[in-house]
Amino acid sequence: MSAAIEFQDVRVRYPGGPALAVAGVTFAAQSGTVTAVTGPNGSGKSTLVKALLRRVPLAGGSIAIEGVALGQISLREAARRAAVVPQREEPAFPMTVREYVALGRFPHTSVWSTSDPDGDRAVAAAVERAGVGGFLERHTDALSGGEWQRVRIARALAQGGRLLVLDEPTTFLDMGHEMAVFELLAELARDGMGVLLITHQLNLVARFAHHVVLLHGGTVAAQGPPAAVMTGGILERVYDWPLVVARDPAVGAPMLIPLRAPARITVHRPMET
Amino acid sequence: MRVRFWVIALLALAAAAILGVALGAVRLSPAAIWAALLGHGDSTTVAIVQRIRLPRVALSALAGAALGMSGAAMQGTLRNGLAEPYLLGVSGGAAVGAVAAIALGLNVVLGVPLAAFAGAAGAAALVLAIARVAGGRADVRLLLMAGVVVGAFANAAIMVVYATAPPETVRGALWWMMGSADGADWRRVGWLAAYVAIGGGALVLWARDLDALALGDDGAAALGVDVERASRRAYLAAALLAAATVAAAGLVGFVGLVVPHIVRAAGVRQHRTLLWGTAVVGAALVISADVVARTIRPPAELPLGAVTALLGVPFFLFQLRRLAVRS
Amino acid sequence: MFLSSLASHSPTQRVIRATGVVLSLALAISCSGVSDRSPPGVSGAADPAGTNRLVDDFGDTLRIAGGGAQRIVSLNPATTEMLFAMGEGNRLVGRTRWDTYPLAALSVADLGDGLRPNVEAVLSVHPDLVVLYAAADNRDAAARLRAAGIATLSVRDDRLADFRRVVSLLGKALHDSVAAQRIADSVVASLARVSAATANLPPVTVVWPIEIAPLRVIGGGSYLNDLLTDAGGRNVYGAMSDPSPQVSLEDVLQRDPSVVLTTTATARAMRIDPRWQQWIADTGHRILVPDTALVGMPSVRMGAAAAQLAQLLHPEALSSSGSLK
Repeated sequence: MSAAIEFQDVRVRYPGGPALAVAGVTFAAQSGTVTAVTGPNGSGKSTLVKALLRRVPLAGGSIAIEGVALGQISLREAARRAAVVPQREEPAFPMTVREYVALGRFPHTSVWSTSDPDGDRAVAAAVERAGVGGFLERHTDALSGGEWQRVRIARALAQGGRLLVLDEPTTFLDMGHEMAVFELLAELARDGMGVLLITHQLNLVARFAHHVVLLHGGTVAAQGPPAAVMTGGILERVYDWPLVVARDPAVGAPMLIPLRAPARITVHRPMET
Repeated sequence: MRVRFWVIALLALAAAAILGVALGAVRLSPAAIWAALLGHGDSTTVAIVQRIRLPRVALSALAGAALGMSGAAMQGTLRNGLAEPYLLGVSGGAAVGAVAAIALGLNVVLGVPLAAFAGAAGAAALVLAIARVAGGRADVRLLLMAGVVVGAFANAAIMVVYATAPPETVRGALWWMMGSADGADWRRVGWLAAYVAIGGGALVLWARDLDALALGDDGAAALGVDVERASRRAYLAAALLAAATVAAAGLVGFVGLVVPHIVRAAGVRQHRTLLWGTAVVGAALVISADVVARTIRPPAELPLGAVTALLGVPFFLFQLRRLAVRS
Repeated sequence: MFLSSLASHSPTQRVIRATGVVLSLALAISCSGVSDRSPPGVSGAADPAGTNRLVDDFGDTLRIAGGGAQRIVSLNPATTEMLFAMGEGNRLVGRTRWDTYPLAALSVADLGDGLRPNVEAVLSVHPDLVVLYAAADNRDAAARLRAAGIATLSVRDDRLADFRRVVSLLGKALHDSVAAQRIADSVVASLARVSAATANLPPVTVVWPIEIAPLRVIGGGSYLNDLLTDAGGRNVYGAMSDPSPQVSLEDVLQRDPSVVLTTTATARAMRIDPRWQQWIADTGHRILVPDTALVGMPSVRMGAAAAQLAQLLHPEALSSSGSLK
């Protein structure tokens, strides 16, 4: 079975930009797993999502969804197979949660064929899965951060694909809401969905991800299961900050503890291979 | 709620149309008007009703519909509730075309509308071209900036014409800029109807794209929308509607700004129904404004744009109050 | 309230504020009032013998010494015509670009527009009298010319009744009231002739549009309305006191005038406008175009203007000279 999504030597340059923002990234995310892409600011994580959304052109390499290269399918077809929850999304005019989730069926209709027989069922299932049934008639600008995030996931689920891509889904959420989102993603993966997650939350990545891709300066510094990637040597080199990796007492996953900078002001380490 | 909106909107349109035919500088009895509609009666009355009032009502309705739809499309594409059909260089370009035509002594009936349309279309194309050269994509902020640039250039050109042209030209050009349904005849109505059908039809056809665009560039792309192409399409259709309206009736402001808000406030949010709604409400509004313009101080006429500009006052007061309540 | 704010600050601040107030007031006064010095063309305090004293339509006073003004700039086609008619065309050193009658006027220096004239151009021909049209737009030019020491005569010649008054003012300014009187009498007589010729003819109802968008017509407050009445026509908007009111097309249709008088350009626009076209086609009414240069203003050729109008309106009854056939 082909991977849910596969990035093959992807290169991306922003128009007018000096260097490649993504300089040869190769990895795959399988269905039924949570794959986390992480790394310092500017390492190219969000650029990958933009390339997937075709907001920036590929300067080289390819992206394939379920074995089919992006260039061979239309935007709508891609949206039917892979649902993206982008970092920022702000409806210009308030609408109800119900209307917003229903927008997820957009890729299934077009100007010429407006019928969507599975639409109602898909929306209802998505609403239930994401747990937003309690505020369907509320307006999108009247939701709390946690509620809004779940609503966005519901919209993505309504699109009906087998791949879910989320760009920093828990940035403004408190601990409780953050855990709830990760639990939901883990559950979706357990039910067969492929989940690709861009995030900073290294400790939660360690607990929930099956596969971790660590980016640094536009390339893959390391990838593999959390225990293999989240080691002191690799992380210190990539994040350029002293830290200690322990085991968390609850489930034994790697746990990252950043240290205070030492009394000497600057900490520069030469890049080790 | 929505059903009630449609009932009220359609009734308002019908009432406005009836008033538009019944009222005017000359007082006519209902019986005479009814006879004239059927073609009977005194020939002067028939001429007034069939060749002056009916075309005016039709022109006003089409202009209002075009402006309402154009405003809804602009606000959806630019994701801004303060966007207006005349925002992106359209009004400046039209004004330059019209003022130049008047200064050159071109015929008012044919030459000015054509020049206005050419100016508006040219300006819209120029805005798109500037935005593309600047950023390579139809980015919303680039469009707005380019629109400001083109508008500023147009203002300068108009001022030069005003300063060097004789007074009658200036007055004629000013009158045109203030908007009027005065020049309505069936041929002009026919042209406007064709453009409204094309532009409005395009917008209604691709209304779902506007629904998706409202989520933002990334959100829309996530739903499978080609953001650049969809924005450009909507913008061009909206600009076409605005240019055709300007050519037919001069600059009629505030309608495109206010009408989408009215319809959205009634709970209509999906763009397909929103577009129809703004067409109906816009038509009713402009017909009413035209009636006010020609009956408030007979036999003189107020410019249509002056009456619709008065709309802006309660609208902005209302928005201010809403902002104050929120914060 | 302002004074109390003055009191609430430190002494230095108060002085600064008060100085500011005084300076602003001084500035305002000096800008608004142009000293109403009486202009020369003349010597000192008492009027020497032979000096004519006139008050023009702006309320300004002029004193013209014996012999009258010798270098005249006329910024008004009507007064240019009057000066030539009085035989004083040789005293003219400047005209507007619109003054093209009589032919001799074309050899006088063209100084540009009569409304908001170029004061420098006027000064460059060293006039001792400038005749202006008394529009609000020209107050500024009149003030600036007077400040430069030049006599200005601002006249308003809008109506038929103004003609005699303006001619007489010119006569006094040129110390040639005899010629002025002669002109006035001759014009009035020619008008009376036309009036008599049309007195017994049925009046023709007329609408006189001067602009189509917006639709503006000659109303009762215009000289053309007076001319029209003398010429045996009846302006359907004669009851409106406005000289050029804006009206709506349906109102014109309702009043059903049998003749439309207008300019060539407007006539062309009407022929393309379907609504006007159809009304003309349905009713068989006529569109007539009088010579705009001739009928445009109340001046020495008014008699000929009235005659032309009368002949246009009553072609069957009158010859081209306006006399009964």
